Amino acid sequence: MTAPFPTPVADQRLLTPEELEAALRDIGARRYHNLHPFHRLLHDGKLNKDQVRAWALNRYYYQAMIPVKDAAVLARMHDAELRRVWRQRIVDHDGDAPGDGGIERWLKLAEGVGFRRDYVLSTDGILSATKFSVEAYVHFVKEKSLLEAIASSLTEMFSPTIISERVSGMLKNYDFITKDTLAYFEKRLTQAPRDADFALDYVKQHATTPELQRQAMAALTFKCNVLWTQLDALYFAYVAPGMVPPDAWQPGEGLVEATSAAAEGKRGPFVGTDVPRLPRGVRLRFDDVRGKHVLLAPERTFDLDDNAVAVLKLVDGKRSVGDIAGELAAIYAADRSVIEADIGVMLADLAQKRVLER
Amino acid sequence: MNAPTPAPAPAEVIPAPVGLLAELTHRCPLRCPYCSNPMELDRRSAELDTQTWLRVLTEASKLGVLHVHLSGGEPTARQDIVEITAKCAELGLYSNLITSGVGGALQKLDALYDAGLDHVQLSVQGVDAANAEKIGGLKNAQPQKMQFAARVTELGLPLTLNSVIHRGNIHEVPGFIDLAVKLGAKRLEVAHTQYYGWAYVNRASLMPNKAQVDESIRIVERAREQLKGELVIDLVVPDYYAKYPKACAGGWGRKLMNVTPQGKVLPCHAAETIPDLEFWYVTDHSLGEIWTQSPAFNAYRGTSWMKEPCRSCDRREKDWGGCRCQALALAGDAAATDPACSLSPLHGKMRDLATEEAAENPPDYIYRTIGSNVQSPLKEKAPL
Repeated sequence: MTAPFPTPVADQRLLTPEELEAALRDIGARRYHNLHPFHRLLHDGKLNKDQVRAWALNRYYYQAMIPVKDAAVLARMHDAELRRVWRQRIVDHDGDAPGDGGIERWLKLAEGVGFRRDYVLSTDGILSATKFSVEAYVHFVKEKSLLEAIASSLTEMFSPTIISERVSGMLKNYDFITKDTLAYFEKRLTQAPRDADFALDYVKQHATTPELQRQAMAALTFKCNVLWTQLDALYFAYVAPGMVPPDAWQPGEGLVEATSAAAEGKRGPFVGTDVPRLPRGVRLRFDDVRGKHVLLAPERTFDLDDNAVAVLKLVDGKRSVGDIAGELAAIYAADRSVIEADIGVMLADLAQKRVLER
Repeated sequence: MNAPTPAPAPAEVIPAPVGLLAELTHRCPLRCPYCSNPMELDRRSAELDTQTWLRVLTEASKLGVLHVHLSGGEPTARQDIVEITAKCAELGLYSNLITSGVGGALQKLDALYDAGLDHVQLSVQGVDAANAEKIGGLKNAQPQKMQFAARVTELGLPLTLNSVIHRGNIHEVPGFIDLAVKLGAKRLEVAHTQYYGWAYVNRASLMPNKAQVDESIRIVERAREQLKGELVIDLVVPDYYAKYPKACAGGWGRKLMNVTPQGKVLPCHAAETIPDLEFWYVTDHSLGEIWTQSPAFNAYRGTSWMKEPCRSCDRREKDWGGCRCQALALAGDAAATDPACSLSPLHGKMRDLATEEAAENPPDYIYRTIGSNVQSPLKEKAPL
């Protein structure tokens, strides 16, 4: 193998810390999973909704096992200072309380593309190949040296690139993906570089012989393969040739709408024919003292922007969403279908807070 | 300045209040041992008359109040509750009836609906009738409450169930959620006991342990997810195990006014426990004067009264230093940081106190009674 960068193997010498860093980065440049065809399809909007779902579901397994992996790394550290730094990763993923943390945000993502939470949590539909590669990663950090365990986390050095590609690509290309759904990645944009900086310094400091440097590079290569293999499996099962193993998730399974289409209809955006109304106990009122409209509801007051006020003034239990959009389109000389879609989302949000009905 | 020297703040910097808690009476058929009313309850003969309440509502509306919480005691014990509710409707004030649902509540409900009542908040002490009635100290209360709730939803009024959580009913949190759904409530308040007034006296009987609290939070989080769009669940966690304190009443003198049955106006319902505060009465001053000029409202308004660690804290305008009454009760200084805050030097001790009390067998309840001469069993003035 001819590598375009110095390696301890080729040169039989100790790399300087800077050379080691360059060598590690080069591994990412050639093997990180942003180069995988599945990711290209994902980011370019070439996947259908079920393929995106398969990705979200399988990737959940990886997310959920990360704290298990980090706890295994932690268990091997004999230095309290080191543990204090490392345990932050577990906090980031598990959160400090229910409803918090990276795993929770990933669950939100899975729910955002239509999954039932309990189905995702069950891990029933996850590809065996996903489970195998993730578990191999956990075993790796338990069995190899601490240096290798830490070096294997260095894929985080490359993740900010993939995350920004992903967020902008997915938002642009899939109408079923919202910014809320992708909240997971927003956090990782700051967490990953912080974690990677620490791990990189550690590796540069502790890989003090050519053999240790070689081990660190091999560990990172291994980790790249853990990620790559998961995408191979996804591609094989859900893109081409489309061989879904028995027991793995099939499109249509584990989705909210499959269990309660009616509830989904009640929760989803309002459509043109829906007739919204304010139930008893919710009132739109002009507040003379503050000089603005407010929506009064049980134990709450909603501040409203001008658009919301314009819409709610027309909500009378008789006009449909289509009627309201039509009137507003005439007043503001705007595109009716755009207004209708915006109103539908806004009204659904209020309905979810139980201050509007249809 | 350390001592609360009341200097009238210029009116233009004081935001208008949004809520008025109208404690119409202290009379109540229930005797809950965590009642938020003061230990010394007002008698019927001392209560404000109808005309005064109607004037207070008019002044509140002009001042910028949007929500009026008709509370007590049991507000339907007032003969004029319908007239008062109608006045709210006439003024455009959002009326919220905070009721036990027992006594004469059901009888008056239809008339209240016709008068324009906006919302009902019904207290439920427990799910199991025997347990609920033990806590509320009134036999046969539970069936009355269920009948009352059924009529509220039949009329199409929005219903909120309020459950105050403590060690005697914390195992019933899943039951409260089911009950709320069954009764057609739109909101459920799972409100862990706040330890002021009667609850402070009964703290050892009420304090759950940390594991129970955590479990209750987990159950609520899960139910919120499952019942999205069907039931809104508001969760109030107990201070003693919290990381940061709550902004008491949204901050002292920022959002809420509380008028007692005899017309004393308080920044929060427990404020009378702080000695040397000068409260003004609606019989002597207009509500607007009281809001902007009364010494009690200005004593802990804003941040200038704060000491460290509050004074330089980033959160000082989020939680406003927490609860003044709790700071006094536990730290012996109403201007101290609320010990519920993890930045308070007393926070660890506060948590220990809760942990110890929760580990002991609960003593019998000291039930709320008018005219009782209950001495706090928590002898020390400031136990921390």
